[in-house]
Amino acid sequence: MTTQQTRPSLDDPRIAIPSTSEWYEPAPTAQTERQAEFLNLRDGEMFINMGPQHPSTHGVLRIVVKVNGEQVVDLDPVLGYLHRGVEKLCENADYHQAICYTDPLEYVASLFCEAAPVAAFEKLMDVEVPRRAQYIRVLTMELNRIASHTLFQGWMALDLGGITPILWSFIERDEIVDMLAALTGQKLLYNYYRIGGVNGDLNHEFMSRLGNWMSRAAAQIDSNTGLINENELFVRRTRGLGTLDQATALRMGVTGPNLRATGVPFDLRRDHPYLVYPELEFNVPTRDEGDSLARYMVRIDEIRESIRIIDQVLHEMPDGPVMAKLPRLIRPRPGRAFGAVEGPRGAYGVYAISDGTDQPFRMRIHDPSFVHLQLVGPLTRGNLIADTMAVMASLDPVMGGVDK
Amino acid sequence: MSSAQMAWSRLTPGGRALAVLLPILSIGGAALTALLIVAGPFIGATIGANLPIVRFLAASVITFLVTVPVAFLLIYMEMKIIALMNLRIGPDRIGPAGAVMSVVHGLKVLMKEDFTPPSVDVPVFTLAPVVVYLASFMTVMVIPFAPDLTSAGLEFGLLYFFAIGGLGVVGLMMAGWSSFNKYSLLGGIRAAAQAISYEIPLTLSVVGIIILTGTLSLPKIVEAQSGSLLDWFIFRQPLAAIIFFIAITAEANRTPFDNTEADQEIVAGFATEYSGMRFGFFFFAEYVNVFIVSALFSALFLGGSNAPINLPFHPEINVNLGSLGVMLPILAGLAPVAGTLLFAAPIFMASSKIKGWQALLGGFLIFGAVSTAAIGFWAWAMLPPIADLLFFLLKTFALIFTFVWMRGTLPRARIDQLMGFAWKWLLPASLLNLFATAAAVLLTS
Repeated sequence: MTTQQTRPSLDDPRIAIPSTSEWYEPAPTAQTERQAEFLNLRDGEMFINMGPQHPSTHGVLRIVVKVNGEQVVDLDPVLGYLHRGVEKLCENADYHQAICYTDPLEYVASLFCEAAPVAAFEKLMDVEVPRRAQYIRVLTMELNRIASHTLFQGWMALDLGGITPILWSFIERDEIVDMLAALTGQKLLYNYYRIGGVNGDLNHEFMSRLGNWMSRAAAQIDSNTGLINENELFVRRTRGLGTLDQATALRMGVTGPNLRATGVPFDLRRDHPYLVYPELEFNVPTRDEGDSLARYMVRIDEIRESIRIIDQVLHEMPDGPVMAKLPRLIRPRPGRAFGAVEGPRGAYGVYAISDGTDQPFRMRIHDPSFVHLQLVGPLTRGNLIADTMAVMASLDPVMGGVDK
Repeated sequence: MSSAQMAWSRLTPGGRALAVLLPILSIGGAALTALLIVAGPFIGATIGANLPIVRFLAASVITFLVTVPVAFLLIYMEMKIIALMNLRIGPDRIGPAGAVMSVVHGLKVLMKEDFTPPSVDVPVFTLAPVVVYLASFMTVMVIPFAPDLTSAGLEFGLLYFFAIGGLGVVGLMMAGWSSFNKYSLLGGIRAAAQAISYEIPLTLSVVGIIILTGTLSLPKIVEAQSGSLLDWFIFRQPLAAIIFFIAITAEANRTPFDNTEADQEIVAGFATEYSGMRFGFFFFAEYVNVFIVSALFSALFLGGSNAPINLPFHPEINVNLGSLGVMLPILAGLAPVAGTLLFAAPIFMASSKIKGWQALLGGFLIFGAVSTAAIGFWAWAMLPPIADLLFFLLKTFALIFTFVWMRGTLPRARIDQLMGFAWKWLLPASLLNLFATAAAVLLTS
C-alpha cells in the first residue's frame, strides 16, 4: 500500500496564506505600447479592434479604433497581415520573373504593377519600345484604370450602406476584365508586359469586345454615377468629411486622385511623361475641396478622360512590331533606374539597381496605397465610426500593395 | 433474434413509423372519443361560458402561426426583388422561381448548433430573441385585416401598438448588453437611441388622426375612411403621412435608417454573437416588423380594407348552388370540357393554319381566364371580407415593396444625421401638423 494522496486543504500548514497586503495584484506595468494605451484609457473610452476580418476593411487591414461613444478619438492602422516579401523575392529572380512577382501587389489594377518595373528595367537596358507596343500599353492601362475606378465607385457606395452600385459597377469591370482576358489569357494577374514590348499583338476577340463596350461605355458610366451622385444621403455623408489640405497632402507625399482632389494638378502622365502620353490630348481633372466627395468625383472624371484617351489611341495606333529585339537572358550594365507610372491610386514606382548579373541587386517598390493609409488616422480623428469607413473608402487603399 | 425483431428488421422506415404511430394514434383517438363522450357536455358548457377567452386563445394561436409564413414571404421578396434590382438572378433553385428558398433558410437556422459564447450573460442572452419576437408578433393582434377580422379589436388598439412596439427595443438592448461584444453594445445602444427618438414623431403624427376620428380603435379609424378615395387620411393628413412613413422606416430598422445592424461599421450590431435559431428569431422579428408597420400605415393612411373606388352598385348574386342537387358535380365536370370546346371552335375556324391542338390549348387558356375572373367576381360579390382582405394586403405589400426598393437604392444615413433629422425636423413638423389639425377642427366645429 502506497501512501494515500490527500487533497490539499487550507488547514495544511505547508500552504502559506498571503497577508492582506498581497491579496490585491499590483497595478500592471505595460509590456507593449498597445498595452500602455489600454492602461491609459480615459473614462468612457474604449478600443474597438476592426479587422483583420471585418466587412469593410478592404482586405486584411486591421484598425485599432479608440472611441468615445460613437466618436473616434484615435485610430491606428496595423499593417503586415498580407506581407509576402515581394521585394526580396524579386531580388532572387531574374528580370522576367520579377515582373510576375510584382503583378499581384495592387491586384485591382495589376497592369500598372507590371508597367513600373518594366519601365525601370527598360531604362537599365536602354532599350527603345516599338511604338505599337507603347500604344497597346497605354490602351490596356487606361482600360485597367477604368476597371479600377468603377470598382472603387461601387465599394465607396457599399461602404456607405448601398448594395446596388457595387453590382452595377461590376458590369463594367467584368466587361473590361473579360476583354483583357481575351488579350492576355488571365483575368486578374495579366503578366502581359515584357521588357521591350508586350506579349502578343491585339487579337480579334479583344478588338470586337472593346468596340462593343466603347459604343455604350459613356452612357453606362453615366447611369451608374446617376444612382450615386444625385443621392442626397451619399452627398451629405461625404461632403466636408475627411478634408485634406494641399500643404498636408504635399508633405505626406500623397499622389494620384487623392492629391488632385486637393487642387494640385499633378499627374505623372503630364508632368513626367512616359510612353506616348505627350502625344495624346487629355485633361487632368482636379477639385479644390479635398474632402471625400471631391476624391470620389475626381475619379469619376478620370474615367471619362480615360475613355477619351482610349478613343484617341484606337484612332492613332500605328502598325509594326510589338516587341523590341533583345537577348533571351537579360543582363543590364551595372546602374540604377527609377520607373514610375500614374496608377489609379497614384504614382506607382519601382527603383531597381543592377549589378550586372541577370537578377536585380535591389528592387524597391513604392506603393501609393501605403502612403495614403497614413492619412486615415488624421482625417478621421474626431469624426464618427461610420465616417471611418467613408474616409477609408474614398482613399481607396489596396492591401496587397500596402503590405507587399 | 426473436421473431418480433426479425419482423421489425424487415420493415421499411415508413413501415416502422406506421408501426409506432398507429397504436399510439388509435389508443389516443379512442381515449379522446371516450373523454368527449363522458365529459363532452361539460367541455361544451365551459367553452360556451368562456367564449371570449377561447376566442382570444384561438386568435392568438392563429396570429402566431400567420407571422411565420409572412416572414418567409417577405424574406423571399427581399431576396428576389433586390436581386432583380442588382441585375442578379437571385434565388432560383428551390421551388418555382426559388420561392421556397426562405423556408429552407428557416430550416437551416433550426438545424444549426445552438451556440452560447462563453462570458455572455446567459439568461439575458437567451431571453433577448424571445422578447424581440414576442413584441413584434403581439402587435399583429390589433391589425384590422378586414372589418371583423382582427385578433383583438381593442378600443385602445393604437395605444397598445405603440406600447408593445416599443418593447422590442428592450430586447435589442438586452442582446447588445449581454453579448459581451463591443459591436453588439454599440448596436444595442444605437437601437435604443434611434427608437426613443423616432417614437415621438411616430406617435405625434398620429394624434391628428385621433383628433379627427375621436377614437384609438384601429377598426374604427379604418371605418372613418370608408367614404371615397379623398377620405383616406393620406389626403387629409399628408404631412402626418410623410412623418409617419419616415418614422416607421426607422422603427423597423430599415435602410436608410438601419444603423443598428450596419454591417460595414459594426459587423451585425446587436446580433453579432447570435447564431442558429436565436439569430433566426431576430431575423424573423425584423421582417414581421416590416409587415406590421406597413399594415399599420395602410390601416391609418391608405384606408385599410376600403376599396379605392366605391362602385356605384354592389353586385348581388343570389345563386343557391345547393338547389342544383346532383347536377352540381356533373356540371362541374362537364363545364371545363364544354367551355374549352366552346372557346376553341372560333379559333379553329378562324384560320386553316391553326392546328387542332393549338385551338384546344387557346380555348383552354381563355376558358381558364374567364372562369377565374368569374369565380373571383363571385367571391368578391358574395364574401365582402375576402375582397376587403385582398385590398388590405395589396396596400400592405405595395408598402413592403417600397421598403425593399429603398433598401436596394439608398445608402445609409449616419447616426448623427439620423438623430438630428428626428429632433430638428420631424418633431417640429409633427407638432405643426398637430397644431394645424386642432386649429382646423376648432374652426370648423
